[in-house]
Amino acid sequence: MSMYQVKPVSPDIKIDLPTCMYKLSNIHTRQENSCSLDHVLQNGDVDPAVRALEARQDEIMRKLYELKAAVEGLAKTVTTPDADLDVTVSSSLSSQSSSCDIFKATKNLDALLGKDLGALRDIVINANPAQPPLTLLVLHSLLCQHYRVLSTVHVHSSVSSVPPQLLSCLGPKHADSYARHMFQLGFTLIWKDVPKLEMKFSIRNMCPIEGEANVARFLFKLLAPYPSDAAVATLVDTWVDIAFYQLADGSAKERAAVLQALGSALGHAPWLCGPEFSLADIACYCCLSQNGSTSATAANVQRWIKSCENLGHFGPAKLLLK
Amino acid sequence: MTKEEANGATEEEQQAQSKKALKKQQKEAEKAAKKAEKQAKLAAEQQSAEEDDFAKDRYGVSAMVQSQQKLDRALVRVEDLTPQKVDQLIWLRARVHTSRAKGKQCFLVLRQQQFNVQALVAVGDRASKQMVKFAANITKESIVDVEAMVRKVEQKIESCSQQDVELHIERIFVISQAEPRLPLQLEDAVRPDGDGEEEGRATVNQDTRLDNRVIDLRTTTSQAIFRLQSGVCQLFRDTLTKKGFVEIQTPKIISAASEGGANVFTVSYFKSSAYLAQSPQLYKQMCICADFDKVFCVGPVFRAEDSNTHRHLTEFVGLDIEMAFNYHYHEVIDSITDTMVQIFKGLRDNFQTEIQTVNKQFPSEPFKFLEPTLRLEYTEALAMLRDAGVEMGDEDDLSTPNEKLLGRLVKEKYDTDFYVLDKYPLSVRPFYTMPDPNNPKYSNSYDMFMRGEEILSGAQRVHDPQLLTERALHHQIDLEKIKSYIDSFRYGAPPHGGGGIGLERVCMLYLGLHNVRQTSMFPRDPKRLTP
Repeated sequence: MSMYQVKPVSPDIKIDLPTCMYKLSNIHTRQENSCSLDHVLQNGDVDPAVRALEARQDEIMRKLYELKAAVEGLAKTVTTPDADLDVTVSSSLSSQSSSCDIFKATKNLDALLGKDLGALRDIVINANPAQPPLTLLVLHSLLCQHYRVLSTVHVHSSVSSVPPQLLSCLGPKHADSYARHMFQLGFTLIWKDVPKLEMKFSIRNMCPIEGEANVARFLFKLLAPYPSDAAVATLVDTWVDIAFYQLADGSAKERAAVLQALGSALGHAPWLCGPEFSLADIACYCCLSQNGSTSATAANVQRWIKSCENLGHFGPAKLLLK
Repeated sequence: MTKEEANGATEEEQQAQSKKALKKQQKEAEKAAKKAEKQAKLAAEQQSAEEDDFAKDRYGVSAMVQSQQKLDRALVRVEDLTPQKVDQLIWLRARVHTSRAKGKQCFLVLRQQQFNVQALVAVGDRASKQMVKFAANITKESIVDVEAMVRKVEQKIESCSQQDVELHIERIFVISQAEPRLPLQLEDAVRPDGDGEEEGRATVNQDTRLDNRVIDLRTTTSQAIFRLQSGVCQLFRDTLTKKGFVEIQTPKIISAASEGGANVFTVSYFKSSAYLAQSPQLYKQMCICADFDKVFCVGPVFRAEDSNTHRHLTEFVGLDIEMAFNYHYHEVIDSITDTMVQIFKGLRDNFQTEIQTVNKQFPSEPFKFLEPTLRLEYTEALAMLRDAGVEMGDEDDLSTPNEKLLGRLVKEKYDTDFYVLDKYPLSVRPFYTMPDPNNPKYSNSYDMFMRGEEILSGAQRVHDPQLLTERALHHQIDLEKIKSYIDSFRYGAPPHGGGGIGLERVCMLYLGLHNVRQTSMFPRDPKRLTP
């Protein structure tokens, strides 16, 4: 039974399709294409797109192997367990000087000094110009190799005048020193009439640290962690105390005894606390040279002094001694 | 009848009254007679006294000095009365600080500025009984000429500045007499705050002092304060002159308000009105554009702020600095801070006696500072405040309590009473402040603080007319009003910056005083226009 024809209700009316929906291609027209694709696969030929994908995968695998090899290489050089990814950063920062290789591990400043509040972490050290803190100057130059340090020297009003070499003891001004926010760490040395050296860092959370030895311990921890072995850590501490109480402040008798102890300790190791350079060496070297008693000592002490000097950390301290 | 009665009554009354009056009169007459008798007696006594007063031309009230004659008499200063002058006969002019008669002796304390010395008039071959009496009756604060012998004393005189000698007076003449009733006693005016209350002794309140400023200024404390203030001014001038600055004078009557427009005094100016300068800012900057390179000026500054606080005056002395710099506005900061440090050092080294004198009445910790001056950035200050528990937005201005708190935090860590805060948010600074090139939220501007209170506010100024117009529009300032300001930069202007400090505020904070009126000689505030 034939039907009668009806005219289209909407001849040539353009329908505004909503734009907020996905557009789909016409199913009817695609059908023919898919047929041809099936045909190609049946033929056993490889699609060029798949080939490209395979090539990319191979490339990624190659790169991964390379990376693995690189990491293994790094792992061999890094012996300390605390090492983290800062190594690459610090090595690029310290590239100016190779002498800081002794401190292979640098810790994150955030972990050491507390969370960054957007301000410069400023370490303030009040020192008496009559007793320049040589150890701290040495540690300062080491810190400068590890971090971007803003170093400033001030004279407090309680001191009337200070010799010029004390004003320049932290080296020349950094070229960026006008912008404090560009630095990781501030090192502010104030020559002040204080009976005992003191350090202030976070006035709210920390009491001031008194005494050069204690401040040195604090600063050294920013450079390298204390030895994990408790015995070695205690040994370092003991040497630091000996340096400040007996070498620097002690009588001639005490000093002679310390020199003897130094000789015997250096008899079976290159550094005071075994195979690694440590705070003990810095403290003893500085206190020894402060006394000017570097000359008349045993052979292995002389050798140790030489190797200390060869490290090149003691430049600023030696300038002050002259 | 009633009339008569009434008449009688009034008569009686009159009689009674007259009786009373009579009695009164009699009494008065008696009194007068007695008085006359007394006076006669007194006169007689006086006469007799005068008659046998052998020393009558050795004392007296001298005629008013009208430059009748030019004496070649050398007067010795009180501060020069040292044991070296012992046994010399000297003349000196001083004020009578106190006098105390004790039988045949009269002790005087003679004062000259902040120095004083003990003097003695005793009945003897030089002085008569009458002379001692005369000396005892000289009113406090009178000015006298004294001829005296300098004598060494056995025991140090603790109450005087010249402790090793005293004067034995041979002649004493009053040059100018003070009224017997003083509006305030000098001893009360120098008494430390706490002491008076504890012992129930009088202290003088601020308004009495200011109402009688002439007497108040005679106290040792005031003498020391204003000597120190003069020192600040002198050191400011000397240091800047040495640095190659030029002192300029700027007009104080101006046609348009220089800063913003609020807080400005209007004065009538012939047929129109004019304003009193709030700061010499515009003129300083014009001098820079005119190639003076580095300028400073010392002059009065007017602020019509109706704030009655311890640190606001409506007229004060402004010490203003403006300088062109080469590449970075820190050159300006360094210049200003170094000037301040030189002032502090000069005061520390040359004005120790003055500082000690003020400390006796108003104890405070000595002013501490660092050289070079500590410079902190605004973000650091915010971090310090937040660490101490203050809640503040990044672009908020420091409130006065926060300023003080920050001052305490900085003092605790760095032990300095003077520091610079750099890089303020752009939004809290005036339109002519140069924005920071790296961060549009901040600006090249700085404040300086003494004992936690702001003393100087400065910045690198915008020296480009186009940027200046933009900034002014951003602050919704009528361009017409600041046309001449913007125009002054159209013909080439060097990059420059500066700032200004208030002399009174610097003195107050340096000495650790608590009211700026103490360091203003004749202070002007919303409630005081005299003296």
